[in-house]
Amino acid sequence: MTRLDRQSFLGADSDAILDAATIGIVGLGGGGSHFAQQAAHMGIGGYVNADPDIIEDTNTNRLIGGTLADVAVSMPKVTIAERLIRGLRPKARIISVQADWRDAADDLKRCDVIIGAVDGFQEREQLERFVRRHLIPYIDIGMDVHELGKKGFLVSGQVILSMPGAPCMRCCGFITDERLEQEAKRYGAAGSRPQVVWSNGVLASTAMGLLTQVLTPWYPNPPKFVFLDYDGNKGTMTRNARMELLRDHVCPHHPADETGDPMFDIRKQAFRPRLTAAPEPALRWWQQIWNRIFGRAGTAK
Amino acid sequence: MNIRFKITASLLAAIRADLRRQHAFAHERVGFISAGLAAAHDDLIILAREYRPVRDEDYLPDPGVGAMISAEAIRGARQWAMNDRVAVFHVHTHGGRGVPGFSGVDIRENARFVPNFVSVAPHAVHGAVVLSDTAAFGQVWLNRKSPQPFITRFAEVGMPIRNWRAA
Repeated sequence: MTRLDRQSFLGADSDAILDAATIGIVGLGGGGSHFAQQAAHMGIGGYVNADPDIIEDTNTNRLIGGTLADVAVSMPKVTIAERLIRGLRPKARIISVQADWRDAADDLKRCDVIIGAVDGFQEREQLERFVRRHLIPYIDIGMDVHELGKKGFLVSGQVILSMPGAPCMRCCGFITDERLEQEAKRYGAAGSRPQVVWSNGVLASTAMGLLTQVLTPWYPNPPKFVFLDYDGNKGTMTRNARMELLRDHVCPHHPADETGDPMFDIRKQAFRPRLTAAPEPALRWWQQIWNRIFGRAGTAK
Repeated sequence: MNIRFKITASLLAAIRADLRRQHAFAHERVGFISAGLAAAHDDLIILAREYRPVRDEDYLPDPGVGAMISAEAIRGARQWAMNDRVAVFHVHTHGGRGVPGFSGVDIRENARFVPNFVSVAPHAVHGAVVLSDTAAFGQVWLNRKSPQPFITRFAEVGMPIRNWRAA
């Protein structure tokens, strides 16, 4: 009897497949932290976790694994995720990068699947371009709250599976030039977007199901392109109509001849093994003084 | 250095289907795969892009080997590597199951023609891949002088992803 016996329907080799897999989680906030926890429960063996932020008081309504004590010491979100994973997978292969995901590009290139739990369309588009270039399946989750005037609020979201060659987030109309433009105009505007724990949980759980399908499916021929709409008011997760419309669609936005690094030259390439741990970003002088005065742990991992 | 070769399941299926076609006199078919390249720490990642079969008229009668192709066919593949700045891999299949291996003829012929790809497109690596019905095996020429390492791991990117260690 092993810890994973109750999920043996995933296949005779599923424990080994999940253990051998390395996933990248970009964004370890409300959605990503849920996902990290579930991945550890499922038995995923390798993680590249990238998020530049530390936990703040306002994150504690939804950041899984985060505590008030973590807020007091300004714990990085990637450190909280690593602690969460190690509670279930003590020997997990974890690379925690407290930085922008682009700073973890080499680690992310080696992932089997990448999960994006990021804010904004521009970030998503860049992430999808990166994964397509390296033939990495991508799962995107995101939620939003829309004000409906006198009718209150609509909690909504999406889960998208973007496989190399299959329709992308532009193909399905989720990323458009108009949305990118609107977002660029809003850039720097004050205020934070509403986020709640339950909808993040629904989206992350659905994404976990998709990851499992990509790694060790429990039924034949699962769809290569998935676009699910979440309606938190109705309590539904439904297939977007474009899922059917784009079933045999070949993505024109990420052609096969764009794979690889565009400027790659083997003669100029130095291949060096990865350092065992991601380097810690240096604290600025004022951060060091601040931490000394208020006893904060800074970016310790 | 670890060498990874990634290919979508749909492209790999198309290659296998093409290589299974009978030829009028050749015992087997061959083709070429183009690929983009990426580096990640000490990993060289080969990312398959496109497959081009050798045309029927470019096979030469030679009962001593499974398939002998014309100089013109090899020249066309070299041109592809040079013009599109891509890595190019010769591909054929041995069928069967499990990780295949190169035959003596494969080893001899690869050593003869792959270095010519390196000469015309030295910015990329080039090589040869042999398929079975369930896996693949391959070798890479990094340049004209250094040893030619084998591809360490293959990934077939589909539903599901299939990974196998080949060397």
